[in-house]
Amino acid sequence: MIRMRVVRLGLILGFAALVPSLFVLLAGQNPWRVFTTLLLYALGPQGRSEVLVHAIPLTLIGLGVAFALRAGLFNIGGDGQLIAGAVLSVFFAPYFAGSGIAGLVAFLMFGFAGGAALGAFVGYLRERFNASEIIVTIMLNYVAVQMVSYLIRGPMEDPLRFFPRSYAIPADAVLPVIVQGTRLHAGLIVALLMVVLFAVVQRQTVLGFQSSVVGANPGAAAYAGFRVKMLTIIVMAISGGLAGLAGAVEVGGIYQRIEDNMGEGFGLAAIAVALIARLEAAAIPFAACLFGIFFAGAGALQRELALPFPLVWIVEATVIFAVSALHWAMPSRKADA
Amino acid sequence: MTPLLEARGLTKSYGHLRANDDVSFSIFPGEIVGIVGENGAGKSTLVKMLGGAIAPDSGDVYIAGERIAMRSPADAKQAGISLVHQHFKLIDSLTIEENLVLGRPELRHGILDFKALRPGFENVARDLGTRLPFDARVSTLSVGGRQQVELVRALFHEPRLLILDEPTAVLPPTERDRLLRFIRLLKERGMATILISHKLDDLYDCCDRAVVMRAGRVVGASDLRPDDRAQLVRLIVGAELPPPDTRHGSRGAPLVTVKDLVVHRDNGTVAVDRGSFDLHAGEIVGLCGVEGNGQTELMHALAGMRPIQSGEIVYALEREPGVKRDAAALRQVGIAHIPEDRLHHGAVPSFSLTMNWLLRKLSRPGLVSFGFLRRLAAAKATWEAIRANDVRASGPRARMSDLSGGNQQKFVIARELGDDAAVILAGHPTRGLDIRTVATIRNRLVAERAKGVAILLLSADLAEVWDLADRVMVMARGKLRGPVPVGETSLAEIGHWMTAP
Repeated sequence: MIRMRVVRLGLILGFAALVPSLFVLLAGQNPWRVFTTLLLYALGPQGRSEVLVHAIPLTLIGLGVAFALRAGLFNIGGDGQLIAGAVLSVFFAPYFAGSGIAGLVAFLMFGFAGGAALGAFVGYLRERFNASEIIVTIMLNYVAVQMVSYLIRGPMEDPLRFFPRSYAIPADAVLPVIVQGTRLHAGLIVALLMVVLFAVVQRQTVLGFQSSVVGANPGAAAYAGFRVKMLTIIVMAISGGLAGLAGAVEVGGIYQRIEDNMGEGFGLAAIAVALIARLEAAAIPFAACLFGIFFAGAGALQRELALPFPLVWIVEATVIFAVSALHWAMPSRKADA
Repeated sequence: MTPLLEARGLTKSYGHLRANDDVSFSIFPGEIVGIVGENGAGKSTLVKMLGGAIAPDSGDVYIAGERIAMRSPADAKQAGISLVHQHFKLIDSLTIEENLVLGRPELRHGILDFKALRPGFENVARDLGTRLPFDARVSTLSVGGRQQVELVRALFHEPRLLILDEPTAVLPPTERDRLLRFIRLLKERGMATILISHKLDDLYDCCDRAVVMRAGRVVGASDLRPDDRAQLVRLIVGAELPPPDTRHGSRGAPLVTVKDLVVHRDNGTVAVDRGSFDLHAGEIVGLCGVEGNGQTELMHALAGMRPIQSGEIVYALEREPGVKRDAAALRQVGIAHIPEDRLHHGAVPSFSLTMNWLLRKLSRPGLVSFGFLRRLAAAKATWEAIRANDVRASGPRARMSDLSGGNQQKFVIARELGDDAAVILAGHPTRGLDIRTVATIRNRLVAERAKGVAILLLSADLAEVWDLADRVMVMARGKLRGPVPVGETSLAEIGHWMTAP
């Protein structure tokens, strides 16, 4: 048994090293140099903070994905919910001018509400019309992208009209930078708070318990008399809300307004984050940092080695495969039962 | 005479548990040997080793005096051994023929050759005395039909030894009789059969002798003389069974009244067709029927798990009739429900016992406050309940799936029945369990009746219904017949009602 596991682990690591190397070679680069460049950047003084900057939204959306998945629901709509949160929070942001920390909290709460509204809508469609939440969330991603594209060229347009972007949020809604000289902002604290809150809700509350029963055994939920329809809507709302919060955090910490293509790709990567973390709250920030390395490092590879951007996605995909396959090699707790 | 199969000193451990400990066993051509024992005695482990599904840690298997390396099901097939598992290994979405071909892919120019195999399958089916619709999907078959497909598959290789793991557990009485008749027919042709069963009647009706296992060992044998029955039970249990409880309370007022009830299946077809009956305090009403005739939907509707299409159910104890009537609300007014499928409905197998305890207890004061679970209190309540009800588990943190079937069922029943249960809807409460657990559960139901509880007992075991019930009703194609007092009818009449068109 032990020998089989070692062989399997070797296969996985070999796969994770070989496949990307192959593509890097095809692109005419040295795989070892790509690897060291990526790591040196990610661990270096500037890269470190950039990894964390990207890990913030990935953590928040990843928590949302995990919360839905524990209830057996696939929320693929992180991108759209992030936009919905950003839009709602920026829409109300001008009213918070001069209200200090309370304004900031309200700003973030509107972000949550924006994503939650979209998520709850998906939950409602699923329960009312039996619509697949996977399809609906994917379609709503496109709707959200088009909507934001209209809003920043129309109703929420920047008064200066240089670029297609929205007006700026007031200073009260800006998340302060917490490490001078970097972009690392207080959204990190928000994300870590949410990790703790997620763990408490999941482990200690009736809501967390009921939703995980629905996910693990819907028949048992029916037997227990849980109100499954209502639960679905609430879970999707919370899941979307966390993505919406990520939207507000991105606006408050980085952009200070809405732009085209804002936060693009976070929604899909967050699914991988949640899966790699095995839906465990405590593991999600670490998985998010792993993907933060790719998001932050992609730029560095492009700058320093002129590596084509899609190559980073190949590396990313290999890592997803490899980490997902790890349980195949690792002894599980149930093995001896 | 050389035995057809002889196993010598088979041993198999899972972690610390010795599932089989130095088991020796033999069977001769044309013999039908029963293997009995409680849940977890090691019967399934033994036949899985004989069928090549798992490899023994030590010990040898001899076929016709020759040592055989039994490393895979293919080795067993080669040696002429066919095993029909307790849980069928069929693919629902494929047709019967496709399922059969899966076990024996006959290729012609690299393409599955269905035509070549069809006559062979038809021959075996004819032998079985059945005409299987080969082009129908397996999902459309009854449990008995599925078993016939498994049997055709097993017999197609013309094995010398057929192993049947609990084949009668899920069969209605008529199909069970047919199966046992068929096994005796095979015996006349020289086939040997190993029959695993919890039901002593199966052994006495069909087997030449029985081997008794307990705690992984062979503890004795019986040549199944009718006057030895009590001794066989002692051998299986390792002690005396608790005597059957026969107490009666006084029959009281109706607690559940059903009028013209119509319930649909998920696909919209009628499951319960204008059913009416009542259920009184202090009585057990047996509900019989061939699987799939609407009994499950009736039980689920009564328990608040399935919507009612028309008609009505009146619960005497409900304060506001019909308002917010879901499974949790009904349990609160004393409608207890033992679901027929404990792993699909009764529990979450991957969760701990404590979490499974909370499943039906969220409205109990003391276990939840302000939306937060009180996990410590829940663990304590779980621990007390598993101790009081003799549920064998390492503790409240044990996973449900790590318990044996009998202990899972005892847990589900312990959670559901309490001082506050006024009505018990019991779905197959003893199905698939060993005789000791069955005796415990039956006595529990009778004791509840003596306290004045109204019990609806859905059971495929007519003998159980006869032993326990005061009245009996039958469901066939969604139509209810009865209830009639047990003394005013007969097994033959009930059997006729069950199968009447």
